[in-house]
Amino acid sequence: MSKKTALIFGFNQYSSEIAINVKDKYDNIELYSLDEKNCNDSKCKVEYFDLSDEWSHIEKSVDVKNSIAFCVLEDTAKNIFLTISLRAYFSDLHIIAIASNKESANKLLMAGASKVVPIVETTAEIIANMLELPISNKVLHSILFEESALKIAQIEVTVKSDIKDEKLLDVDWTKYQGIIVLSIMHEDMSSEFIYSSKAKHHIVKEGDTLVVVGYENDIKKFRKNIRSE
Amino acid sequence: MLKTLIINGAYYLNTSKSYQKRKNFFYNLLENDKYAYKHYVDILMITLIFISVAVLIREVKYPVDDAFLFFSTYIISIIFFIEYVLRLWVFSSVSSTIVAQAEHDTFLNNEVRLLKAFKSIVKRKFSYIFSVRAIIDLLAILPFFHELRLLRIFILFRVFKLFRYAKSFQTLASVLAIKKFEFITLAIFSSIVVFISSVLIYVMEANNEASPINTLFDAIYWSIVTISTVGYGDVTPITPEGRLVAMIVITIGIAVLAFTTSLVVSAFTEKLDEIKEVKIITDVSKLYDFYLICGYEDVARELVKKLKKKQRNIVVLDEDEKRVALAQSDGVIALNYNPANVESYKKLNIDIKKQVKSILCLREDDVENVYTALTVRSIDKDVFILSLLMNGLNRKKLKFAGVDNIVYPQELVGLITKELIGKPVAFEVIHQLRSEDTNVNIDEIAVTSRIAQNFPHLGMLGNKNFRVIVLGIYKSSVDKFYFNPIDSTVLQSGDYILVVGYKVFIEEFENHLLSRFDYE
Repeated sequence: MSKKTALIFGFNQYSSEIAINVKDKYDNIELYSLDEKNCNDSKCKVEYFDLSDEWSHIEKSVDVKNSIAFCVLEDTAKNIFLTISLRAYFSDLHIIAIASNKESANKLLMAGASKVVPIVETTAEIIANMLELPISNKVLHSILFEESALKIAQIEVTVKSDIKDEKLLDVDWTKYQGIIVLSIMHEDMSSEFIYSSKAKHHIVKEGDTLVVVGYENDIKKFRKNIRSE
Repeated sequence: MLKTLIINGAYYLNTSKSYQKRKNFFYNLLENDKYAYKHYVDILMITLIFISVAVLIREVKYPVDDAFLFFSTYIISIIFFIEYVLRLWVFSSVSSTIVAQAEHDTFLNNEVRLLKAFKSIVKRKFSYIFSVRAIIDLLAILPFFHELRLLRIFILFRVFKLFRYAKSFQTLASVLAIKKFEFITLAIFSSIVVFISSVLIYVMEANNEASPINTLFDAIYWSIVTISTVGYGDVTPITPEGRLVAMIVITIGIAVLAFTTSLVVSAFTEKLDEIKEVKIITDVSKLYDFYLICGYEDVARELVKKLKKKQRNIVVLDEDEKRVALAQSDGVIALNYNPANVESYKKLNIDIKKQVKSILCLREDDVENVYTALTVRSIDKDVFILSLLMNGLNRKKLKFAGVDNIVYPQELVGLITKELIGKPVAFEVIHQLRSEDTNVNIDEIAVTSRIAQNFPHLGMLGNKNFRVIVLGIYKSSVDKFYFNPIDSTVLQSGDYILVVGYKVFIEEFENHLLSRFDYE
């Protein structure tokens, strides 16, 4: 029976951190290592793979459309090769890869990764924010990564929504107390800041997603109102 | 009785805060290159020197206004005299020497030997008085006695005082000093050649009536003019023997000139790196509020790009020459010093407490980062230290070493992937807000007393006119963030307003807050 699985390729500290953070979202976590030694020594179940692998065994046991693959090999060339190999076999698989820098991030995107995390840039960006904008960094960090009362949520506009077919500029957000609408994402996945000139004239359609910040209860109320639940 | 009075006086001066404060002030003003006002004193002294030289030159052929003469002769001399006395005063501490002697003798149950203390004081003060700089300073005061016409020429000694105020002269002297032996050898060689050629030319030419070389002085003059390759041509040998000597001296002269040039060039080449480093160290000692990056690897390099965009001051310390060269090519002040060594900070003359905003341990090696953090903590207990962590097992060690904030890239990747699969849109939005490369940003506006006075309530800010969202207010008084506060929220000095919007509009909004006139 196929399962919603997180496939993690690479056996290192990145893979263990990823496994810890995604274990609640997937039925199954599969760890793969290029080194056979890891498969024998590790306390958790680690499977051996090589880059010439046929992925048919994964296809049989995994619900590919609802699964995700993480390519976290430390060798950039091998990571790119792995990504291209997975993409060639699974056109629908969501692949997240890590890259040491922007150059390899671009190559990984070309190789078919759905999303790339450039480690050096991301780390530097977080340090720069910690130093230059300590307060906003703390707030954003707690919203995103910690169990804070303040949440960020994405709310889809449904067919019943009372703001559907309204011009974004004309929507009176103040009646939805306690929340701040940051941006709107269109069906084509492009997002616009709520005050951008493009977004202002946008007519809200079914399928648009609003990105809002607020306390949990206020978001619930807002969701209820927007969806006319 | 007198002895007790002197000892008590010395103790009083040594412990008097106001006396020490004044002495320290004058020391900084005259001797401390890092003291901001010393620069102005130097400029003033240089200006006075040029004024006195200008008056001297003008006076040769034209009459000079009495006021100018009075200023040049008396006022400038008095200023220089005061400077001389102050330098002599701050050079060493008389009271400290007496106190040290008194304490030493009292400890050994002996009678206090004031004479020994005075000997030591006189010896110290004389070591200053007989230093080249102090002699020049003293000679520069002599034009005060301008009635003695010869003494007026001592005004030129004021020019030598420029050595004291202009760093470049000192650098030049220090560069040439490294070739002291070669220059002395060259001078001896040239003197011997001048002596031999002068005697020879005198012997060959002096008895010839048609020859312009009649005295030994003429011969020495000719010899120096020839060996230096100047060759005025006013004095020339006319006998074949004399011309033969001339040919030899000319050939030697070319060699002497070439040798001198090569000596100067090689001295500069050898000292170039050192001069550059000294210049950087001087620049660093004048820099304030800078980030000190210890270790220049990938993350550090990327961070530098971001901080440079915000025009922040950055200094990099790294023990690896190649990484230092890379940092320098990236346009950062970088020095080849080990950041994990206390000596490095002493040599660089960095006052961490006063000058450094944060210390960033960014080596991709936990051992090095722990070592650097411990070193910095041993120098300063309060400075903010941020460190990279490469292996989760070392987190406690970094904390123990005194690191305030730890950034663990592996953990970040884990958290990011969690959000990427949970709330991809929200993640993207926040990532864009944080990123410098996008137009829409989050920013913090500090509420000054002026802003708080002009905009007492949040609702008065008018942020919507600038298409700026106020995400919340951070109240520093209670260390709490208030999300989406109501319009009647009172603004206080020290608060921070967190805003989201287009960079340009945020800037305009900030300008609007800062530039609004006070209410009547």
